[in-house]
Amino acid sequence: MGAFISKFWFMMFPAKEYKIVVVGLDNAGKTTTLYKLHLGEVVTTHPTVGSNVEELVYKNIRFEVWDLGGQERLRTSWTTYYRGTHAVIVVIDSTDRARISLMKDELFKLLPHEDLQSAVVLVFANKKDLNDAMTPAEITDALSLHSIKNHDWHIQACSALTGDGLYDGLGWIAQHVTGKAPS
Amino acid sequence: MSYNQSALARPSSGKRRLKDLLVQRDNRVCADCNAPDPKWASANIGVFICLKCCGVHRSLGTHISKVLSVTLDEWSDDEIESMIEVGGNASANSIYEAYIPEGISKPRPDASHEQRSKFIRSKYELQEFLKPSLRIASTSKKSSLQVSLSRKIMDSFRSSTSTQKSDGMVEFIGMLKVKVLKGTKLAIRDMLSSDPYVVLTLGQQKAQTTVVKSNLNPVWNEELMLSVPQNCGPIKLQVFDYDTFSADDIMGEAEIDIQPIITSAMAFGDAGMFGNMQIGKWLKSHDNALIEDSTVNIVDGKVKQELSLKLQNVESGELELELEWMPLEQ
Repeated sequence: MGAFISKFWFMMFPAKEYKIVVVGLDNAGKTTTLYKLHLGEVVTTHPTVGSNVEELVYKNIRFEVWDLGGQERLRTSWTTYYRGTHAVIVVIDSTDRARISLMKDELFKLLPHEDLQSAVVLVFANKKDLNDAMTPAEITDALSLHSIKNHDWHIQACSALTGDGLYDGLGWIAQHVTGKAPS
Repeated sequence: MSYNQSALARPSSGKRRLKDLLVQRDNRVCADCNAPDPKWASANIGVFICLKCCGVHRSLGTHISKVLSVTLDEWSDDEIESMIEVGGNASANSIYEAYIPEGISKPRPDASHEQRSKFIRSKYELQEFLKPSLRIASTSKKSSLQVSLSRKIMDSFRSSTSTQKSDGMVEFIGMLKVKVLKGTKLAIRDMLSSDPYVVLTLGQQKAQTTVVKSNLNPVWNEELMLSVPQNCGPIKLQVFDYDTFSADDIMGEAEIDIQPIITSAMAFGDAGMFGNMQIGKWLKSHDNALIEDSTVNIVDGKVKQELSLKLQNVESGELELELEWMPLEQ
């Protein structure tokens, strides 16, 4: 009974904040995704040099979302943001077939990081509305997502411009992070 | 050990060459808005741009502009090479801003996102400021560009300057297949109807369709061929009513500006190499006969343009046509 009340209490008054880092190659749509979720609108973006951070509340869960710059030199600084991370969002430009393997390399470089050991991984297959977009199945193969053994992962097609799919993805994160302790 | 050093030395020297290009005078300001000290570049177009314009370039898609940071991104040798071959902002702008129509000006460094975006889209995506006829002399001497589009434009300039030297001769640069599809609501010239046919004139050449008897909404679907010389004017189109016993009556006319299709076709070169896409546009204006903007497209490897014209100097009548550009083998 006590446990029930406690759970109920935390549903009503979430004390805890979950940390999400958003990574991906340059021009994948990370900043657009963040601000579409945060403000519900499409903002004008420039390349993110450094990071953006915003707080989102979804399903009564508070998320602190870090959007990190995607340029080559900035990717090396991603690790400095990993501490205490509950979820990693990987944003993919679904039309960028040429660089999907580059993203796979980046993904498998970040997964073993000790600060991410208990983090779940959500892949946003962004720009799904564009003509030449790869399907989530193609992206799953290209990123070898099935070979991820130590993390819960999920892929969600989305359009950061229309918002389509974004909350489905965030909902998946909400289900999978609650109750998990950060490393 | 020695091979290790050479492997390390190469990227840094490429980077050095890129930095050298960046400090060139014309590259000290953004190619699109003149903001000082641009640190970003469009590797396929070959221009250095500021962060704000970079934001717009990214939204065009990488097939139009592939943006890289001079300082934050790793550049491939090819990308550096193509930047160097374009030669910087001044050289690239001599193509992309050859002809900026009156009333349009470059955005200023403090321009809003909307102003910036409008200009950049017109400049690179719609390529509205290209004007080959104005640029033949000034750009023909430039070394070849590796940028797909810029290169092709340059090539077409080079070939046009070389043919101009053989003066007096009319050289054709290609053929235009004009498919006259149909007319609607044509004017009445006989008792209740008309017997319309269409005549196309380009320079000395004339081509005409068959006569459709007693029909104000005739369907021709006839293909007419015209050879296109250098620097030709528009095609003159006239619709006549066929009369057996008297001179034929005019039922309206229109001019077809064929520069948009020729310019865009030449810019893209071998259309067979590209998928279906829009490559140019002839815009409706108060002084042309277009009913709506007419786009030039690559369709199954062919350069085509559909147009609907409102016939001029007549009570009523519209005409639908399809143009197809066929370049001469080089």
